[in-house]
Amino acid sequence: MGKIIEISHLQKSFGKNPVLKDINFSVSKGEVVCIIGSSGSGKSTLLRCINLLEFPTDGEIFYHGQNILEQKMTTAVYRAKMGMVFQQFNLFNNLNVLQNCMVGQVKVLKRSKAAARQTALEYLELVGMSSFIDAKPNQISGGQKQRVAIARALSMEPEALLFDEPTSALDPEMVGEVLKVMKNLARSGLTMLVVTHEMAFARDVSHRVVFMDDGVIVEDDTPEVIFNNPRNERTRVFLKRILDE
Amino acid sequence: MSVNADSTFFQWVIFIFQAYWPLFLRGAEVTLIISLTGTIIGFCIGVLIGVIRTIPIDHNTNIVTKILYKIVNFLLLCYIEIFRGTPMIVQAMVVFYGVAMIYGIHLSTLFAGIFIVSINTGAYMAEIVRGGILSIDNGQFEAAHSIGMTHFQTMLNIILPQAIRNILPATSNEFVINIKDTSVLNVIGVTELFFMSKSAAGNNFRYFEVFLITCLIYFVMTFTVTRILRYFEVKLDGPSVYTIHGSQTVPEAQFKIVDRGKR
Repeated sequence: MGKIIEISHLQKSFGKNPVLKDINFSVSKGEVVCIIGSSGSGKSTLLRCINLLEFPTDGEIFYHGQNILEQKMTTAVYRAKMGMVFQQFNLFNNLNVLQNCMVGQVKVLKRSKAAARQTALEYLELVGMSSFIDAKPNQISGGQKQRVAIARALSMEPEALLFDEPTSALDPEMVGEVLKVMKNLARSGLTMLVVTHEMAFARDVSHRVVFMDDGVIVEDDTPEVIFNNPRNERTRVFLKRILDE
Repeated sequence: MSVNADSTFFQWVIFIFQAYWPLFLRGAEVTLIISLTGTIIGFCIGVLIGVIRTIPIDHNTNIVTKILYKIVNFLLLCYIEIFRGTPMIVQAMVVFYGVAMIYGIHLSTLFAGIFIVSINTGAYMAEIVRGGILSIDNGQFEAAHSIGMTHFQTMLNIILPQAIRNILPATSNEFVINIKDTSVLNVIGVTELFFMSKSAAGNNFRYFEVFLITCLIYFVMTFTVTRILRYFEVKLDGPSVYTIHGSQTVPEAQFKIVDRGKR
């Protein structure tokens, strides 16, 4: 399978504080990869580096073999191919649900309004939000917002979708509806990279689980191995703590 | 109606209004033209500067752009500080007589008035717009960038519509201030409302009566303007209800939802 993203020796420091130390891993087409680990382990920073919302201090990120940290490829062009779903949804507050899913298609992909509307409606239907196209973000619930945010990212028809703790800001009763949408997407063959605290989702849905601790990837394996026989002591301690709660 | 030294206060007011209303009207017209044009141009200057001053400098920027940006930023800062830091009445004198002396050009007083009010308002608006942009949650920028928008696309489609809504109260403040402060332009002979009132008062030696009328006209103008802009604010907030469209299974299901917690 073709590797979409390949990361080698990636480092990121905020000031003198190293957050990522020598990260190496890759994501292939159609893979669902979950990144788990305790808060402050660098999971979100890694995801944000992949989308260049944070610029790495050192190392390389290859997109289909092309180093995106050199200036050959425009950041905006690359970002359009990497969808991102945020913890805080970040829907555009000045636009309604439908416009949220259309604006990127029209302005960045230069699609016609009619085509953009068609695509947006398809994906809104997929996440079960097509009835709410006229609502403004401040008029819908958190779970609904996150589903619209997923539809917005999908409307750009990205090669991979990055999820940054998509359910962490939701009320417990709304987590389910978002996870259901994400499960369906995973089954449809979309490439997904998910930073999450939802261990059941990581275990049941992903092809690979990456455990991060203190800025390094401690273990990168199938969910069966990570959850049943982790090789590393730190993984074992983390999972025991989480699963015992 | 005629008046003499024994006439009452109200007789004077009525007399002056009847005799001079075309003068008041013309003065009010000039005041409105200058303050409206000045506010609009100043607003545009402010938005432009606000956008320029919030351009992110990151890894992608090369060294030449960085230096250019620093220079532009410095010049803009000088403009803002100088025009915010000196009185408009003095700026009017300096610009009007300065241009005449250095370039030998006699500006029309109306043009000079609009010019001075515009650049003065621009200096204030630049900071107001910058504040408006900074007040928008960083997540809005990140989301726009994550779908591949450039800085200017993000500004135009996402940030400015929200920022401008947020700074409308401050803008209507500027407009009201401009309506009142055009009165200082009488020092360079702009025939606005204060200038006209002064001549009407001077002709009759009736200052209190004349300026009471002037006062009333100013108030009517500013009050009307604030009401109109308030209407725009409400309009920009959009409808407080939205329609739920029928799904494929229940096409007839179309009903309105009342906004929860309308701000």
